[in-house]
Amino acid sequence: MTSRSSQKQDRSGKKIIPYLMAGDPDLSVTRSLLLEARKAGVWAVELGIPFSDPTADGPVIQKAAIRALSDETSLLNVLSFLGTIPLSERPPVFIMTYFNLFLAMTIDKFIDESIRVGGVAGAVIPDLSFEDAKEVRESFKAAGLALVPFISPTTSLTRIKKILATADGFIYFVSLLGTTGKALTLSSTMEESVRDLRARTKLPVCVGFGIQTPEMAQKILDFADGVIVGSRLVQEEKDPVAWGNLLRQFCEVASVAASSPHQ
Amino acid sequence: MKTRKKESEASRMPDHSGYFGDFGGRFVSETLMEALYELEKAFKKAWSDRSFQKEYQEVLTEFVGRPSPLTLAEGLTDHAGGARIYLKREDLNHTGAHKINNAVGQALLARRMGKKRLIAETGAGQHGVATATVAAKYGFDCEIFMGSEDARRQSLNVFRMNLLGANVKEVDGGTRTLKDAISEALRDWAQSVLTTHYVLGTAFGPHPFPLMVRSFQSIIGREARQQIMKKEGRLPDALVACVGGGSNSLGLFHHFVGDESVRMYGIEAGGRSLTAGEHAARFQGGRIGVLQGSKTFVLQNADGQILRTHSVSAGLDYSAVGPELAYYFETGRVHFDMVGDDEALEAFDTLSRLEGIIPALESSHAIAYGIRLAKEMGRGKILIINLSGRGDKDVLEVARLRGGVLS
Ligand SMILES: Cc1ncc(COP(=O)(O)O)c(C=O)c1O
Repeated sequence: MTSRSSQKQDRSGKKIIPYLMAGDPDLSVTRSLLLEARKAGVWAVELGIPFSDPTADGPVIQKAAIRALSDETSLLNVLSFLGTIPLSERPPVFIMTYFNLFLAMTIDKFIDESIRVGGVAGAVIPDLSFEDAKEVRESFKAAGLALVPFISPTTSLTRIKKILATADGFIYFVSLLGTTGKALTLSSTMEESVRDLRARTKLPVCVGFGIQTPEMAQKILDFADGVIVGSRLVQEEKDPVAWGNLLRQFCEVASVAASSPHQ
Repeated sequence: MKTRKKESEASRMPDHSGYFGDFGGRFVSETLMEALYELEKAFKKAWSDRSFQKEYQEVLTEFVGRPSPLTLAEGLTDHAGGARIYLKREDLNHTGAHKINNAVGQALLARRMGKKRLIAETGAGQHGVATATVAAKYGFDCEIFMGSEDARRQSLNVFRMNLLGANVKEVDGGTRTLKDAISEALRDWAQSVLTTHYVLGTAFGPHPFPLMVRSFQSIIGREARQQIMKKEGRLPDALVACVGGGSNSLGLFHHFVGDESVRMYGIEAGGRSLTAGEHAARFQGGRIGVLQGSKTFVLQNADGQILRTHSVSAGLDYSAVGPELAYYFETGRVHFDMVGDDEALEAFDTLSRLEGIIPALESSHAIAYGIRLAKEMGRGKILIINLSGRGDKDVLEVARLRGGVLS
């Protein structure tokens, strides 16, 4: 059995998904951050694995990747590291990194290791397009892991339908054109897109890229199932206490939003 | 008409998903996917549209100066003492390299698509200069991404781009070379995609770039085929080209792929040695992986992290290679070998002194291998080397390497 069932088709409540870079600045800090996240009550963590050439990331996450990159933070080693932490001390994890790291490890081995260490719900792979993902998607599905799909403001309705037809885990709605870390300004088109997506799928629709403040998160949670908070938290990564405090502010607005009459 | 049939086989690649066999694809973020579809549609429509072809050919003739000559290199032939060596003179194109063929094509396409701004990556600076040139000619805003190490060693080209009105953005990330310039261009494109066209400079990246760049460069081989038939009355026995991403090599090879008697050689940068990080010979030290949009041979460590590369020539100094060449490597249609820094620098001198042509350091790799190969092939054989660019841009760097100070 895998442990991702808690993530599946869960549209109850409002979700906070922090992104954190494994090994920034080292894995013992990452262990503390995972514990903080667990205590704060996040739905899941996106655990980034540093890659030498992060083409979809802005400056903050690029720099975190440079700080974190070492032999200890290979995809395989980070999975083994997760295995050393009791399930009660870490939230469910989606592994997030670039496709070459999965290819180097092989998809089969990634699946085996994920199941072995437990608590791995799936993966988010920004440079694996829907079109190129068929085999990976099928292998993941067979193993009970979710390959989380992206939908961006540029995605056409035709492709949205195709993507939703095989989607699993949650829908990662990219809030803006560009890379991670750019500041987001809210727009009514985003709200419409998210509402439209929610009407087309049973999976939670979570919004990511550029969410800098709990206030911004609160406004988005008014119409979305969750938010992914990346660069803003990554800036605090070296200090688990400050990181935990900021994360709790995000989690508080989520619980307020969950009980608001809008839903 | 056996050759005809095989030729069209090469032209049918890639498949509709952008694959050459196992290689290629569209490994980019979702934000760019629709732009790639739009580009593919626009390119295919334009490429089969007579008025687009006419316009493209006209610019190649009137602005670029095509056809480029196929020059018999008598001094070099004597020096090698074997096959008769011809040089395909892409160095004589406007702006000094083959890169302009592709830049013109993509600029005309971007104009058709209603884009207002062009961005490009550049290594040696030749593609940056070519893009800045067509941007000036057609009135696009233009931004060029260039690794800061490359900007240093190709400073003349940085100045040229500025003269042409382009903004050159130096990239300090990673290894400060071509790979990092491509990453930065992809990041810019993800946010500017609605108004901007990314003029990728080599037969690499996500589909349809490898197809499109090869198509715009295939004019090289189309001319060379006609020229050699006219001069020698027969096909050449071998073709040699240097391989960065693959645009000048595929440009020369494409119209010969179906001719089994024509052997093809792609020459990578051997750098200082075959130690990891000291070269850019993807087919010698690389493994199948995915980088910057394409599944292909990639220099990487066991974990999948991309390795540093080194070459004396900025245009060959890159960790991955175009997917179509990866396919030809697997099928054996193209033979890959490498030439190191020292041998390339020697060929740089040899061609300058024997032919009165100063070659680009990239092209010098092909010249060096061509000398070896001509000797091996022996007299009575015919060899065409693609002289992809001229060496003016490299003069300062060569002087620096030799301890002279020119600036
Ligand atoms: C003169 C010249 N030749 C060759 C190359 C290598 O690129 P490609 O393999 O795409 O032809 C470059 C790239 O910058 C170049 O400037």
